[in-house]
Amino acid sequence: MSEVKLVIGYDEFEDGQRIADAIERLSMSPEAASLSSLIIGDWGQAYENSSEEVVGELVKYSASFPALRKLFIGEMGYEECEISWITQSDLSPLLPAFPELQSLTIQGGNELSLKNLQHDKLEELIIITGGLGKGVLAEIAASKLPNLRKLELYLGVDNYGFDGSLADLTPLIEPGKFPKLTYLGLKNSEIQDEIAKAVADAPILDQLDTLDLSLGTLSDEGAEALLASQRIKGLKALNLSHHYMSEEMVARWQKSGLPVDVSDRQTSDDDEDWRYPSITE
Amino acid sequence: MKETRPLVVIGIPGDRRTGGIQQARSRLGLPPAIILPYTGLLAGQTLAGLLEAEGILDMQNRLTSGMRAPLLRLDSPGGSFEVERALIALGAPDAGDYNDALHPFGQEQDPFPLSFKTAGKLREMPGVLHHPSQWFRGYCRLLARLREEASLVLPESRWLNDPQDIAAMTDKRCTQQLLASAGVRIPRPLGEEGIRVDYASIREEMHRQRMHRVFIKLACGSAASGVIAYQMNPSTGAEIAVTTVGVEHYITRPPIYYNSGKLRRYTDSRTISGLINWLCRHGVYAEQWIPKSGAGGASLDIRQLVVLGGACHSIARVSSTPITNLHLRSRRMTPAEAGLSGEVQEEVRDTAVRALAAFSGSAVAGIDVLVSAGSGKTYAADVNPFGDLLYDVEYQGFGTYEWELKQLIKEGHL
Repeated sequence: MSEVKLVIGYDEFEDGQRIADAIERLSMSPEAASLSSLIIGDWGQAYENSSEEVVGELVKYSASFPALRKLFIGEMGYEECEISWITQSDLSPLLPAFPELQSLTIQGGNELSLKNLQHDKLEELIIITGGLGKGVLAEIAASKLPNLRKLELYLGVDNYGFDGSLADLTPLIEPGKFPKLTYLGLKNSEIQDEIAKAVADAPILDQLDTLDLSLGTLSDEGAEALLASQRIKGLKALNLSHHYMSEEMVARWQKSGLPVDVSDRQTSDDDEDWRYPSITE
Repeated sequence: MKETRPLVVIGIPGDRRTGGIQQARSRLGLPPAIILPYTGLLAGQTLAGLLEAEGILDMQNRLTSGMRAPLLRLDSPGGSFEVERALIALGAPDAGDYNDALHPFGQEQDPFPLSFKTAGKLREMPGVLHHPSQWFRGYCRLLARLREEASLVLPESRWLNDPQDIAAMTDKRCTQQLLASAGVRIPRPLGEEGIRVDYASIREEMHRQRMHRVFIKLACGSAASGVIAYQMNPSTGAEIAVTTVGVEHYITRPPIYYNSGKLRRYTDSRTISGLINWLCRHGVYAEQWIPKSGAGGASLDIRQLVVLGGACHSIARVSSTPITNLHLRSRRMTPAEAGLSGEVQEEVRDTAVRALAAFSGSAVAGIDVLVSAGSGKTYAADVNPFGDLLYDVEYQGFGTYEWELKQLIKEGHL
């Protein structure tokens, strides 16, 4: 497996370098034919410029990357661009352009769209945001991804673009929606308790190996619902790390014998009692 | 070993710095350094008087016969509120007939100056930035006085770091100018001198230069004191300021700004503009925010110690925030552990050596070096005249103070 990451940093962008040229160069390089994983980092001041050009170029040169199985659009740290400021675009043209793709990771939720989300082979869809819009949730709900094994959504907060509610998530956990799904992550959310209560006894748990509710504001309220569920006993992994549960609740989990991760307990600030998910920026 | 020169340290007796120096001297079998306290010098004692009491000068204020002229070392005045308060008082407009010659921007007025008497009554409040620019003025005045006194009573003595250089290193505007003219790579400054007058002019300049991410630093601050990682979004107009500076608002008087152990993140324009305007009144330096290299999404910079032209001890400070100072609970690693290649480490050392060389009267400094995540280029971000207080790090088997003493002896300075 071979992997390449393309980045146009601030200075390179100011010097006139462009991601389009980098993609074109890569497509003509000897390694293109065997490239299995491509990471697009900062495409050049991503707070101002959207990923549209990236999508266009990748579609244009898709035939040069026959071995590509993994694609990451927008891997960048806060030293380059705040997650909540990354400007995405409509990424759906990528799917028909890469019919053999197995894994798609997207970072940044602004202007993100996944229209006509259909793919026969895609196994992983991961969207990392400080706030995911309900429009995208609806597009995922309307998707046709028969081979999807892993769905991981960093939902984020209202302030940074999460304008949905539990009602926008329930279609995603309906039985039969993703028949092969084994990993479900509805995480980094400010409504983590509501999500926990909704999934605690959802039939989809019967097909899952892993339920990932980490990085959000999970408290004892959501935890009670999970502990009361018979269905979570079949999980191979339950990720609740970075949470706001009490020490007592953490102790109950530890005694439960369940394969649960309750690490990274958060405490509310002494002077200001507000809670925040891990990635909000 | 032949008789060495006496070492005279102006500092805070018993703190970690003077304590570290004494420990190193004892390990090397050297007599203890003579520690002259800042408090005494600020309370009106003269350098001559203190040196006489220590037997360095005789009753005629001449070097005691048979004694070699001492090496003079200034250490950090930080960590003591008493010293801080006395320096703010010394920077007062009515502090007397003082010499601002070492203040690189001495002709500029400090905002809302405190009188000598008012400054003397300041109460200690943890972390509160009482009056940074007046503090710096007071410090420059003390440095000028000590430099003058030493040249009169001990013309044969040498300074480890010339007080004039210490003043220049403590003012980031001056430091970066000197580095740039010496050809050392620094983060690109935001605009020309004199335009960083307030929040609005900084934003205007950021737009004009398309420099949307900057570090705004209190010109005379040390460590992360008064540092803001500031960015604005040219598309949406949103802005974010990540900083250690906390604000306490009051209804009947101006807000108080303090250094918080916890990083703050401000997104509302009112708080941000208030904070930036306050810093600007005390003098700021603003520069491009270089995306700092770091493993696993972290940020890092290197504190590289340079002694007599040679790079020695170094620490990588790795943080999950853009502000990497050690006391903000960054992780420390060796540069190699932090993932820097041998080639980049060599670049870091070279950058640090060249940065110190820009200060011709100085033998020791800790240079903060950034490595750009994109290009791998190194940049000198800060020159710390007291940057040798580094724990648990060795170079060729020696701690920082021991290594310095050994080099000074080897090169005939001690």
